[in-house]
Amino acid sequence: MKKRIPRIGIGGPVGCGKSMLIERVVPILAKNGYRISIISNDVISKEDADRMRQNLATNQGLLPENLVIGVATGGCPHTAIREDPSINLSVIEEIENEHSDLDLIIIESGGDNITTTFSPALADYFIYIIDVSGGDKYPRKRGLGIETCDLLVINKIDLAPLVDANLDIMERDAKTVRKNKPYVLVNCKTDEGVDIVARHIIEDVLFEQPPKKIIANAK
Amino acid sequence: MNTDFSDLSLMQISDSFFPTGLYTMSNGLETLFSEKRIASIDELYELIQTNIVQQIGPADCVALANAYNFTGSKDVERIIECDKLLFSMKLVKELREATCRSGTQMIKCVSSFVNNDVLSEYYEAVKNSKTPGTHAVVIGVVSNSLGIEKQKAALHFLYGFSVSMVGAALRLGMIEHIQSQKILHQLKPVIAETCNKYISKSLSEMWQFAPEYDVIQIAHEQTFSKMFIT
Repeated sequence: MKKRIPRIGIGGPVGCGKSMLIERVVPILAKNGYRISIISNDVISKEDADRMRQNLATNQGLLPENLVIGVATGGCPHTAIREDPSINLSVIEEIENEHSDLDLIIIESGGDNITTTFSPALADYFIYIIDVSGGDKYPRKRGLGIETCDLLVINKIDLAPLVDANLDIMERDAKTVRKNKPYVLVNCKTDEGVDIVARHIIEDVLFEQPPKKIIANAK
Repeated sequence: MNTDFSDLSLMQISDSFFPTGLYTMSNGLETLFSEKRIASIDELYELIQTNIVQQIGPADCVALANAYNFTGSKDVERIIECDKLLFSMKLVKELREATCRSGTQMIKCVSSFVNNDVLSEYYEAVKNSKTPGTHAVVIGVVSNSLGIEKQKAALHFLYGFSVSMVGAALRLGMIEHIQSQKILHQLKPVIAETCNKYISKSLSEMWQFAPEYDVIQIAHEQTFSKMFIT
């Protein structure tokens, strides 16, 4: 039986920086030797998948181009990752059959609302990302995504003063509603905080296992 | 207590809650809509009807019915023959991938709660890439395993296809919710007639012919901005 490749689901509202987070985290993971595939569930276009492929695969050579895969979701992004994740699971099975040497699969949800969650059949670890431009009422407003994710990422912290968002309030509320489960403040434009997200992935998802290719070479 | 749960099983696999990913398919409708080649409800009805009469009926429905029969006779090799034949008749890459993804996920799901030797053997062949696992053939195998009548299985497939297209039209903003039900009602005679016409055909009588429609669906593969997989 083929071994399941660990999977991370990344969800969040439209424009919060899901793709950008992936574009910033993957280079750190790749530098540590991990081999990764990305499945991008775009709501309406292949733009995110195409951009990630161009940036991470074509330009930086961090993964093969065919391991950045765009999946259309019929206008139902939450259904594709929760109620009926069939198409994503099918794509993952194809990846697992052909690329058993991968260390990690990242599944990016299409932009959705704050009730987004991933089916446990699809993702082993759930990162929910919001940004400050919606105001500091998030994460106080709660929502399954914010409350139940394994890691909450609050992006675009540089914009806080411009939109009168108080980061202290956001941190305080994140701690309260998440009952001290982890959260990270980041600015994906400058990479601030992104290394902490990568560290969580290495520790909490990969359990600090060395990359498979290093284990294989050592044998 | 009545222990015949076949009708409930039919409801289960027909429900939009059953995970097959059909909601991600528009079967070329998205391209036609974005190119403004289809606008009216009549044209939508005609498109679905054409697809059923020219492709889904004579190809998928025949494969489904034969797979159903071969499940009954415990002939997995012939089920695989149905599967490969239907796969080879799907000329559009997006369609081939989509039908196999729906099929493989459906059999994976049903195998988790049904014990049936033929189902298990066929599922093993799908998992080992010995057969493609097309949606229609999987429905044939699964329906037989669940005790669902062959005709109901074929009706389920044709109706499910229609719902998938009407649902896509709704989400594209072409029609509203009551119009969508009206179209489904209008399609009932087409579905019933197609089912009756093809349910007893042999594999050698399978065909499909809708070249313009194929070209439209190939164009969808090249589209940059899209909501649907097909």
